[in-house]
Amino acid sequence: MQESILVYRSHLYLKLATILTGASVVAYLWHRPLGVPNGGTWLGYTLGTIAALIMVWLAWFGVRKRRYGVGKLMLEDWLSAHVYFGLALGVIATLHAGFQIGWNIHAVVYVLVMLVIVSGSVGVYFYVRFPRILSENRRGMTLDIMLGQIAEIDREMRQLVLTLDDATNKAILLATEETAVGETLFGQISGHDPHCATTRAREFVERAETAGDDGRRRQILTRLVRKEELLVRLRRDVQLRALLKLWLFAHVPFSVASMVALFIHIVTVFYYW
Amino acid sequence: MKDARADSEIVAAGRGNDCQLHLPDPRVLLRHAEFTLRSDDIYLEPSPGSDVRLNGALTQMSKVAAGDKIRVGPYELILEAPTPEARLVMSVELVQPLGDDLQSFIGRSKTQVGAVGLSMRAWSWALALLVAVLTFGVPWVLSLFTEPPPVAILLNTREQRAPAAPTELWTSGGISSAHKFFGDSCEACHQTPFVPVQDGVCLSCHNGVQHHADPNLFPFASFADDSCQSCHKEHQGNRTVALSNQSFCADCHANLPDQAPDSTLRPASDFGDNHPDFRPTVVTDSALQIASRERAMSDTPPPVEDSSLDFPHDKHLRSGGVKHPDRGNVQLGCADCHEIEAGGSYMLPLSFDRHCHQCHALKFDTFLADRELLHGRPEDMFKQVTDVYGAVAMRGGYEEPEAPALIRRRPGTQLTPEEKKEALDWAGAKANTIINGRFGRGLCDGCHQLFESPASAGQTGAGWGVEPVTAVNRWFPKAKFSHGSHRDVECGTCHEARLSTASSDVIMPGIKTCQACHGGESAQDRVPSTCIFCHGFHDSDLPPMREPQKAAAHEEYWLRSTLMAFRSQP
Repeated sequence: MQESILVYRSHLYLKLATILTGASVVAYLWHRPLGVPNGGTWLGYTLGTIAALIMVWLAWFGVRKRRYGVGKLMLEDWLSAHVYFGLALGVIATLHAGFQIGWNIHAVVYVLVMLVIVSGSVGVYFYVRFPRILSENRRGMTLDIMLGQIAEIDREMRQLVLTLDDATNKAILLATEETAVGETLFGQISGHDPHCATTRAREFVERAETAGDDGRRRQILTRLVRKEELLVRLRRDVQLRALLKLWLFAHVPFSVASMVALFIHIVTVFYYW
Repeated sequence: MKDARADSEIVAAGRGNDCQLHLPDPRVLLRHAEFTLRSDDIYLEPSPGSDVRLNGALTQMSKVAAGDKIRVGPYELILEAPTPEARLVMSVELVQPLGDDLQSFIGRSKTQVGAVGLSMRAWSWALALLVAVLTFGVPWVLSLFTEPPPVAILLNTREQRAPAAPTELWTSGGISSAHKFFGDSCEACHQTPFVPVQDGVCLSCHNGVQHHADPNLFPFASFADDSCQSCHKEHQGNRTVALSNQSFCADCHANLPDQAPDSTLRPASDFGDNHPDFRPTVVTDSALQIASRERAMSDTPPPVEDSSLDFPHDKHLRSGGVKHPDRGNVQLGCADCHEIEAGGSYMLPLSFDRHCHQCHALKFDTFLADRELLHGRPEDMFKQVTDVYGAVAMRGGYEEPEAPALIRRRPGTQLTPEEKKEALDWAGAKANTIINGRFGRGLCDGCHQLFESPASAGQTGAGWGVEPVTAVNRWFPKAKFSHGSHRDVECGTCHEARLSTASSDVIMPGIKTCQACHGGESAQDRVPSTCIFCHGFHDSDLPPMREPQKAAAHEEYWLRSTLMAFRSQP
């Protein structure tokens, strides 16, 4: 998915969502309710019904995207419409609420919906922006190639260091055995490891007094620097791909919770009609 | 490991190229341990900081023999029996080879976000369950154990307040100010789930709320098909449920003549833009007590009131003052006669005794300085004057020079029957003169309209009478107004009394005067004033709205209800 999703079919779904949003805003401004604007006027019920239908339809995308080749519309249609009608929902739900919020179930739905929309917007931003950054970061290499190159450097360094002193040998051994990428969620998101064994080995080798065998030492240092550079890119790669998925860990659970809250909202509104 | 031989007394084992026993693995030190041969014994000496195990146990300098197993890093050395050629024989095996670099690196690293233990499904279920339990499950279960008291009981039991309902979380908005005292108890009004609040709930307290219009004359304005909730919106926060929206009224009253041709009301939809001028209710015939509200303040000719009273405001209010019998010149102001009632809204009725008498004492005879004509009852007044002079004639001592000597005699002197007759004849004539003279009829005529009527038998001095005074108690009975709220505005701003020469003037403001400060609902530069700012919806003259009884045709009723007859009963 690229920027194309936002301009899909010459902004068809942007136009449709804008028309719906605009009509809702005009109706809201035109409507003179008894008392303050709220969800209980005829316009309030209308906007609420539209918002609820949009919510159910948006949630259906979670099911639809797992079914390939079903229906007349392409998945791109669904996604483009999902984005624009999701944004429209934010406006329509706010108008439905009449800009009121309180400590109640109705506000729970509203807040959850807004969290879904915000997380979805973050997701759209990531999807539009990250693919290019990802490919630039990889410089034509695949993940496997990067991993393989690091392993090859490790093997070479171990050979080169065999005849050097024990401390250097130990540092290189740790660099090859303990360096890891994305061990924790925080590690994945932050994109770097402050305790990286390779960095420590490079610092050690740079610091160490040269006691002969400078040629080997230089060769090892070159490889450590090269490995560090690969690690930076690898961690960036992991970070970007983690973020590309991570927003879904807010978007999907908040969506599911908002559907439950929506159901309770509707039931309780009519329970205390 | 391939076979190797060394010719030395000391055999070093390590990573270094100079070691006789070369162990090329990064986990081995450059010089990890040494084997020393002394006579027939073999000693193992690990290097400082190295990790060497002899038969599984960490070891320092020790003697070793055939059969011992020695671990040097990943290598296992097994000593064998010496041969004639060699005193130290051992087999060497790499028992812990280094793993594959790629596989171990991949094994340590996590390049997918799903690999760090996040589960979208579990997180979704947990959040959904949390929402369901907290916002529905807990309130609902708790509500099963809560019994709210009826509102009507709460209203009359000041100590008791409704307990907070656990389902308060389901409220759609704050409770109106007046209903807050039971607002926490949902079931007080929402008595049946999934059924809108019924009128009976409202009427349990508000049982006397009246109709808007006569339901017989204007059935469509009986709102029989609407519920209380249709107009009175609860859960809109800290405000009143009596909404002030102009559209409430304008929906019908903008085109009222179309909807109700029988109505005498004119179209109105906005006080600033579309509201007829005020039509005061005025007395058009004081004697017959007829009131009407035909003309508006701005009409030509303007509305005229026939109260039968003659009172020029301009003379009383003129600058320079009026002559007071005791205090000399006195500058009168409005408040000297018009007093605001205790409620702060309207003016108290005027009375001769309190407001006119100080200046207009009804003395009729300078020789009877303590006597005044009875006010308010002309017939009694005629009798009073006759009685006064009858008594004077009987007593004597009357000091008027023109009076006969008989009347001026020393008081207490006995009269003969002839003298009595003569005295009473004088008394009758004198009373007649007074009643029809400057201090009788003349005084009355100063303020009242008089009428001629033939004297009936036995009535002294009759032949004329005083028209009864009739006024309205409010010129605009359909509008609420508070003088108290306008106390900082000078009276003359609205009432042009100083220019009024006759009491037939209706010194009330027209709509233009009010519009100087008040505008319609959406006025930006005026006080936004919707219909119920001045008008009520439920008409207090009409019967209760939700009771099936018939209402009286009330147009005439309220027209007459404003009348006030200023005539004391005998």
